[in-house]
Amino acid sequence: MAVKVIAFGQLTEITGAEIFIEARDTDILKATLHKKFPHLAGMKYAIAVNNAIITENITLSNKDEVALMPPYSGG
Amino acid sequence: MRWRLCRPIREDNMEQYNQRYARHYSLKSFGVQGQQKLAAARVLVIGAGGLGCPVLQYLAAAGVGTIGIADPDTVSLSNLQRQVLFTTENIGRPKAEIAAARLKSLNPEISVIAISVAITTANALELIGDYDIIADCTDNFAARYMINDACVLLHKPLVFGAIFQYEGQVSVFNISNSFGEKVNYRNLFPSPPAPADVQDCSEAGVLGVLPGIIGTLQATEVIKIITGIGKVLAGRLLTFNLLNYNSFIFTIAANSNANHLIPATTADFEATDYEWLCGMKIDRIRELSANEFLAVLNNQDTVVIDVRESDELPKAGFDCIQLPLLHINEEVPDITEKNIILFCQGGKRSLKAAQLFSDKYKSHKNISHLKGGILTLNKQL
Repeated sequence: MAVKVIAFGQLTEITGAEIFIEARDTDILKATLHKKFPHLAGMKYAIAVNNAIITENITLSNKDEVALMPPYSGG
Repeated sequence: MRWRLCRPIREDNMEQYNQRYARHYSLKSFGVQGQQKLAAARVLVIGAGGLGCPVLQYLAAAGVGTIGIADPDTVSLSNLQRQVLFTTENIGRPKAEIAAARLKSLNPEISVIAISVAITTANALELIGDYDIIADCTDNFAARYMINDACVLLHKPLVFGAIFQYEGQVSVFNISNSFGEKVNYRNLFPSPPAPADVQDCSEAGVLGVLPGIIGTLQATEVIKIITGIGKVLAGRLLTFNLLNYNSFIFTIAANSNANHLIPATTADFEATDYEWLCGMKIDRIRELSANEFLAVLNNQDTVVIDVRESDELPKAGFDCIQLPLLHINEEVPDITEKNIILFCQGGKRSLKAAQLFSDKYKSHKNISHLKGGILTLNKQL
């Protein structure tokens, strides 16, 4: 199934603000994104599933919303 | 005349009554007590730039008793578009001192301390240790990771704010969330990004009002922590987009696998080179991907150097000389070849070695290193 992926900050320049990606879990999602957008592979970003930042692989289901959050340094 | 219901100031508090804070006294769940807590608080604002200006202004106006302003910079013309404490006449003057003077005239009843030196690992613990709450209003990752780690070591609440173009992030670290867990910046972003991957305000631009909004949110969190009102953003990351007003609140998990990246002791902290960690010193050094590395490996006038210890595995499957980083650290050897390519296990030591060579040879040699080290290279073969 396709999950909604929202990008923030500089990542929107790579992926666009919002895309739909077919993925069963977050590892597969990452791999798919990195294949589709090679520039993304070297970037540092946090992944949130339904507004919770994840630190390990998580199963995805329909209607899940994934956010890709890069660090900002500006002040 | 219309009658208004007012909350009377209790008689025992009358001596503390100060017309300046009248709107706080009458504010529900704030009152004289909230004001007293603000007066007793000591807040250090690191960075008196776009974020720092509104944080400082509102904390001074609110009556925070002691405010430290740490910033080694001077005011420049391009600051004035968003750094609202400064005027055109202030260009070239030290930010911390100008800001301190402005705050004193805004509120002469508080104590304001200007700290016009850069925060480094040598002075960070002493400076931060002197305050109750720290606001990170800096503009680079080296400072942000250093301040985060110092606040973790000292158990200091850290109110974090950061901006990019039209978007901002706010969070509060080292304060227990609703699960009783404390998180810090490393739980969100364990290690800093490469400088090439992230643009700062001078490269990417920033709409002047953005730090005004994000800094004001930081000031709000500081006041909430001090007075105990509302729900602090402890362990939660708030994001805000100025263009469409989209806002999210992400919860941050207290993943222990990021905490080992924080220096374990104050001595370790003081020995950490955050600028190097954040790659801020090595613009001259080229990073080679596995394929690029293989392509240039056998070029003419080129030497490939393994900077690992001699017993480390896997052994290199190509011609190279062995020169452990420890030795290079003691003395950078003379190299006759024009192109120097360095590698190690994971890419960190080779970067450090590249920096040492680069310091010695400046632009006289082409210095590069294998990103991700031999482990990454072998994975791709």
